Amino acid sequence: MNPEKQNESSRSIKNQLRTVLVLTKLNTKRFFRDRLAQFFTILFPLIFLFVFGSLNKGTGNVSFHVALLNESNSSFSRTFVKQIDSSSTFKVDKTTTTLKQAEDKMSKSQIDGIIVLPPSFGSIQAGQTYPSGQAQVLYTQSSTGTGETLTSILVGVFKGINTKFVSTPEPFSVQGKTVNEKSLTPFDYTFSGLLGFSIIGIGIFGPVNVFPELKKQGILRRLHTTPLRVWQYFMATMLSQAITGVVAIIIQFAVAIKVFHLKVDGSYPEIFIFAILSIFMILGLGLAIGGWAKNERQAAPLSNIVVFPMLFLSGTFFPRYLMPDWLQTLTNYLPLTPVIDGLRLLTTEGKHLINLGPQLGLIAIWFVVIYALAFRVFKWE
Amino acid sequence: MSDIIVKVKDLKKVYGDKVAVDSISFEVKKGEIFGILGPNGAGKTTTLEMIETIREIDGGTITVDGINVADKPRDIKYIIGVQPQTASFMDKQKLTEIIEMFAASYGEQVSPKKFLDEVQLGDSANKFVEQLSGGQRQRLSIAAALVHNPKVFFLDEPTTGLDPQARRNLWDLVIEVRDKGVTVIMTTHYMEEAEVLCDRVAIMDNGKIIALDTPKNLVRQLLSRGFKKNQVVEQANLEDVFIDLTGKGLRD
Repeated sequence: MNPEKQNESSRSIKNQLRTVLVLTKLNTKRFFRDRLAQFFTILFPLIFLFVFGSLNKGTGNVSFHVALLNESNSSFSRTFVKQIDSSSTFKVDKTTTTLKQAEDKMSKSQIDGIIVLPPSFGSIQAGQTYPSGQAQVLYTQSSTGTGETLTSILVGVFKGINTKFVSTPEPFSVQGKTVNEKSLTPFDYTFSGLLGFSIIGIGIFGPVNVFPELKKQGILRRLHTTPLRVWQYFMATMLSQAITGVVAIIIQFAVAIKVFHLKVDGSYPEIFIFAILSIFMILGLGLAIGGWAKNERQAAPLSNIVVFPMLFLSGTFFPRYLMPDWLQTLTNYLPLTPVIDGLRLLTTEGKHLINLGPQLGLIAIWFVVIYALAFRVFKWE
Repeated sequence: MSDIIVKVKDLKKVYGDKVAVDSISFEVKKGEIFGILGPNGAGKTTTLEMIETIREIDGGTITVDGINVADKPRDIKYIIGVQPQTASFMDKQKLTEIIEMFAASYGEQVSPKKFLDEVQLGDSANKFVEQLSGGQRQRLSIAAALVHNPKVFFLDEPTTGLDPQARRNLWDLVIEVRDKGVTVIMTTHYMEEAEVLCDRVAIMDNGKIIALDTPKNLVRQLLSRGFKKNQVVEQANLEDVFIDLTGKGLRD
């Protein structure tokens, strides 16, 4: 900038920042008038939250989907069936009544195993005072692990029942005990992943959809005839996207807490500061792609190339701990990975910003790299 | 020479092996309406865009108000106002907000209502931009280009696609702008528009300026070369009929 011109009030830095604020205000107003933008920013991630949230509902306890075929009509077997029904370990498929149906379902992996109570099960044999019987557990070869687990659970159940009828000494026993008062549930992973997904929507899909249209209509070219600077335009976009992003994330938290009983174990100010920094960084990718592309045909494939690896490998829809080690190491460095990890650490693992050195560091590095690129490739038309 | 505001010398623009603008030179005087005429692809818009700082200059020099365009494009941007061919704006914005946004882009704070009143859009101030007619959009576009009191105002084919009423209204607006001391440089396809508005016109073809004078002089020169038109003395033409029947009142 010209030193002699710096005195002119319309070109002072203060005035340039005021310009940014005016544009931010107008951008934000437009968002709250734009139903389509609201749908994609707020409702769309919520739909995913409901879908993935329902899939991963609950505490992550193992449960078995079984068919229970009761061929006996003893009173013991009826009580036993009721007990299995009400147990959280078993989900009994009520629609299956014959062995044939059950085997068919099992071969399609719709159920994990079949429990058969034979006709004599639970009847009192001659000369005895208590009922007895042998239940059968059927499972396929491809799921022996599940079958064995199922069997040993039933063994445990029967052991409890047996002691009521016949007392036998037990020199050795096992006692299960909860050590962690809280542990991560699959929903915790799902939720931070979906927050990452909405940050992608705000940061990348938003600008990538808008820029080509602005260029096609010559709106950006016209702005280029004004003294507006690229950084002012970027900064206004950053601020307005951060505002809409915070609104979207607040709604997601509200739904997650109300509907999916998310337990937030962290401070909201820290969560939102981290989310805003993440939006700034990820938005750089949207500004780079949208700013570079001349039209939709350039913008759409490039944004897919950038977004898809992150959607699948950064823990958006699938937790990264399910990946092989080498892939985890590799995907550690994707821009979205520290965002999702950081959000989960802050939200459900009780960590604070001060503990997030690696995540914040990686976000800072990506921020510098991405914005250096975005400024370099930006075109007004 | 102090009455010269825009000075173009040996200006050149090359796209691949096509010379779009071929070493043209001209000067625009302070306070005049200067027209650039020519068929499509003659290089009019490219020439304008180079003066407007948004197209790179491949050869030659342009100065606006004594400032070299290639050296200090940002300084130029503060003293020019640009109305592009298509008047498009981001939708979901009120007219006042459009004016506010353009003013902010120049680092100015203005009263949007005043600028909208000047182009007869005061009553629509709180409408959204997508509710405007073509002529209203052009007027909004002019208001947006003038928020920072520019010294030179560029219009690229401002009346294309407008009905006769809106066109005449726009002519009046352009003359009002000029009367405030703003120099106007415009392109057009309509010769009668150039005759009504322009103090001087440059006619371009294939990247070159092939004539430059006042419209009157250009006609006189043509006649002196022995040009004769089939003489039909018309007391009126179809446009006169149209305006007579539908009135001069602006339709929106």
